[in-house]
Amino acid sequence: MSKLYRTSRVDGQEPTVVNVGGVEIGRRLAVIAGPCSIESLDQTMAIARAVKEAGADMLRGGAFKPRTSPYSFQGLGLEGLKILYAARQETGLPIVTEVIDPRDVSWVAEYADLLQIGTRNMQNFSLLKEVGQTNRPVLLKRGMYSTLDEWLNCAEYILSEGNPNVILCERGIRTFEKYTRNTLDLSAVPAIKELTHLPIITDPTHGTGVRSLVGPMSLASIASGADGLIIEVHNNPKEALSDADQALTPPVFAQLMKQIRSVRLHMEQIGEVRT
Amino acid sequence: MKLKEIRTRIDTLDRELVQILDSRMELGLRAKKLKDQVADPDREQVVIRNVIEGESNLLESKFKETLFQSIVDESRRLQEEDPKLVAFQGEHGAYGDVASRGLVPDSVYVPCLEFSDVFEGVAQGLFDLGVVPVENSLEGAVTQVNDLLMETDLKVVGEASIPIHHCLLAPSLNDYREIRVVYSHPQALAQCRGFLSRNRIEPRPYYDTAGAAQMISRDRPRAAAAIASSLSAKLYGLEILKEEIEDADSNSTRFLLVAKEPEAEDGNKCSVTFVAPHQAGALHEVLRLFAEAEINLTRIASLPIRTDPGNYTFFLDFEGSDQDDKIKKTLAEVKTNTTSLRFLGCYRSA
Repeated sequence: MSKLYRTSRVDGQEPTVVNVGGVEIGRRLAVIAGPCSIESLDQTMAIARAVKEAGADMLRGGAFKPRTSPYSFQGLGLEGLKILYAARQETGLPIVTEVIDPRDVSWVAEYADLLQIGTRNMQNFSLLKEVGQTNRPVLLKRGMYSTLDEWLNCAEYILSEGNPNVILCERGIRTFEKYTRNTLDLSAVPAIKELTHLPIITDPTHGTGVRSLVGPMSLASIASGADGLIIEVHNNPKEALSDADQALTPPVFAQLMKQIRSVRLHMEQIGEVRT
Repeated sequence: MKLKEIRTRIDTLDRELVQILDSRMELGLRAKKLKDQVADPDREQVVIRNVIEGESNLLESKFKETLFQSIVDESRRLQEEDPKLVAFQGEHGAYGDVASRGLVPDSVYVPCLEFSDVFEGVAQGLFDLGVVPVENSLEGAVTQVNDLLMETDLKVVGEASIPIHHCLLAPSLNDYREIRVVYSHPQALAQCRGFLSRNRIEPRPYYDTAGAAQMISRDRPRAAAAIASSLSAKLYGLEILKEEIEDADSNSTRFLLVAKEPEAEDGNKCSVTFVAPHQAGALHEVLRLFAEAEINLTRIASLPIRTDPGNYTFFLDFEGSDQDDKIKKTLAEVKTNTTSLRFLGCYRSA
């Protein structure tokens, strides 16, 4: 195993708190919600208002989409970034959006509060170096075929470039199971807490790919000790231009938020879980 | 060339045609200030003959005649409407243009090369009003304008504080990721230094913000953008890649509206300039008069007198009306305590 000089947790080290536009990830529970893709100003504004109302801390939305097929909707690009920024101005919610091309990094950093590296780009080392040189925190998703060690080495790339603000995101890995799109590896959450000082959130939406499983896995994530969640919410999931089968509607998300808070409160009451 | 490219070029040309017509109408309105009457049939004939006799590849004489007759007709109609001409420094889309549109809506805004052109034009009656920046919240006094206020006899008849929000502009077909250089006025470039260094874009000084936008739109240099107002984006058909790219959160410029005659309506703010004698306590004595009369000063600035090194002109703005007895009395006292008091005007505060 190669040495993780900056990413490993040394004995007695306090967990890192990453400040994203005023939201302190690692200190208190942070829920990021929003559509998979930015489709229009109206759509984004409607969803942004709804998730803010439901109590979300941050808005997600893709402007640059890494799609399996080159013929699928590729995102609105710069126009999408402007729309996200407008939503931020109105709701005050910090913005997280994915960056897929090193040439876009500085532009995305101008508009977004948190730069997301997607699962397919986890080991895109030139992209990691580029985001490592910005002044924006980075949300590093786990590669769908990656071990924890490979994942942490990618965080090490970003940290070694001088950017200390990395948040890890468990988003499900490929297994032989076909019922779910991915298998959300919740054992990764406490394992990561043992291995590194960096905060970790989970993505139950992509982690399962099945709408009905998003709620239970959100609560299970909180119970496993995750610092936050990233959940897809769409005001009209059937019409969504991408990932139509897994987004929650705003009312369902609002209900889930209450249950998430309640589980979090319970976990805080029972204290640290040791075995 | 693909159909889409040809159409984009046509759209660009059409926009330029409209801008050229705009400039032509503007010149017609300026000519009117020097003519005794609007209609000048001899001149109209010359204009149309020039066009018909001029070379052209495709346009037939009949078409040119009809086209230019309607242009001349429109120019005459505009001149008869007699809109106010408001001069500002810079190209269309400059922050002076933005300020002019706010201060005197529904007028004709005339770009000038220099601040002195604005002052001289207004003094000679070529323009009805002028709009000039007097100070910027970050950079301080605009010395050229303050000098001109001292040297000329124009009156201040209004003011406006314009928030300066710089935008990064480029032609929409260009790939924003390739941008490596940006053109703008040195002051705008300096105010966006952080943005430019974060994005590794090289600043290139240009004579005017809006002029840079115009150049980018016209010449379409590769990998280049301009920093200018959002109005410039609209006027020159450029895409706003990012708004509010200035480093400081608040950046505003105070503009003054100047005219040949003082403002007829009662105002609530006044501007004066004076020179205090070179002796101990002279300035203090003047300020004491305002303090004792309980008149609130909103600006005190001193600028070196160019013809008299070591001596300064003081600029004073204060609240109140020149029709007010207290202010009349104070100004009379100030006059006896200074070598040259000039009353610039009384106007509504912004």
